[in-house]
Amino acid sequence: MREDDRLGPEPSDSELVRRGRSGDDAALSTLVHRHHAAAYRVALSLTRDDDAAQDVVQDAFLKAFRALDSFRGDAAFRTWLLTITANEARGSLRKSGRRRETALEDAGPVRSEDVDPAEAAVRSQESARAREMMEQLPEKQRMSVSLRIDEGLSFKEIGQIIESSEGAARVNYFHGIRRLRELLR
Amino acid sequence: MNDALCEVVREGIPDVVSGRSSGEGAASVEGHLVTCEECRAEFELARTLFASRPRVPARLAARVVSAVQRDRTTRASPWWGLSAAAVAALALGIGISSDSPAMRDSEVPNYAYEVEEGALWLSDDGLLAGAPSFDALSDEALAELLDELAVGTSPGGSL
Ligand SMILES: [Zn+2]
Repeated sequence: MREDDRLGPEPSDSELVRRGRSGDDAALSTLVHRHHAAAYRVALSLTRDDDAAQDVVQDAFLKAFRALDSFRGDAAFRTWLLTITANEARGSLRKSGRRRETALEDAGPVRSEDVDPAEAAVRSQESARAREMMEQLPEKQRMSVSLRIDEGLSFKEIGQIIESSEGAARVNYFHGIRRLRELLR
Repeated sequence: MNDALCEVVREGIPDVVSGRSSGEGAASVEGHLVTCEECRAEFELARTLFASRPRVPARLAARVVSAVQRDRTTRASPWWGLSAAAVAALALGIGISSDSPAMRDSEVPNYAYEVEEGALWLSDDGLLAGAPSFDALSDEALAELLDELAVGTSPGGSL
């Protein structure tokens, strides 16, 4: 069973969407709290810039909620939101005229603010290095690895977000993983 | 090493490292790791990556929530003036008419929008890092490639 659809005290995404449509702002807030982290990581993976990623997340939620009436409950809200987020991020890159080549040149390891120093210190060098290596993967491999591992998405969902087939998403993931293992050896 | 089993295990590794999968599924993955060095290496990598997910700014959720609330109280006319489909099209950045059947019928508004030419994607995978673009491949070709990647001539060789 999907986590989103489980029964219990936590309302499912589709229930929250239904409430949101009928004007329940609290339901929309819950959706934001539930999915903003995934949206942020998707945006960050594409823009490689913390400020730009935050703007993208905000715009993506605004657009998703404005279009809520057209959202079909039989698809996962999360996949839909992340697709909008990825599209916004690409738009943001185009708008800023920031080409991938440039982005790659000045992309150090991405650090977001509000990192707890103690936690950061604990984070092993190996982790930091793995993330740095991830920055070197081509975009679709990087996105596939991140969406599968960080967010737990299925290859079908990943395919929708990276604009590929399910099979291509799977190959991108395993190719990326293999490449990372080679880079980290 | 058991190729078919390795394939199943490697598909499931991300859900085990993240704790999304537990119980029997996780136990069978963990059991396999004891005997399979290749899958164990992949598990370690996945665990390392999951543990180092980029931190999310603490104030982001609050910022988005207040933007949403502002938006909902002020958008009264312009957004309500559009049909839901047109708004969805805007949200997804696609320029289709509001009565497009694709918008009405698809489960999700539409993923198949065109990526603007000349922009981001021309420099995608192939040129950038010498990696093949997998989108043009047939399902059979993808399956073959996958076999090779997941369990075939694995890096480092097997014991
Ligand atoms: Zn194995």
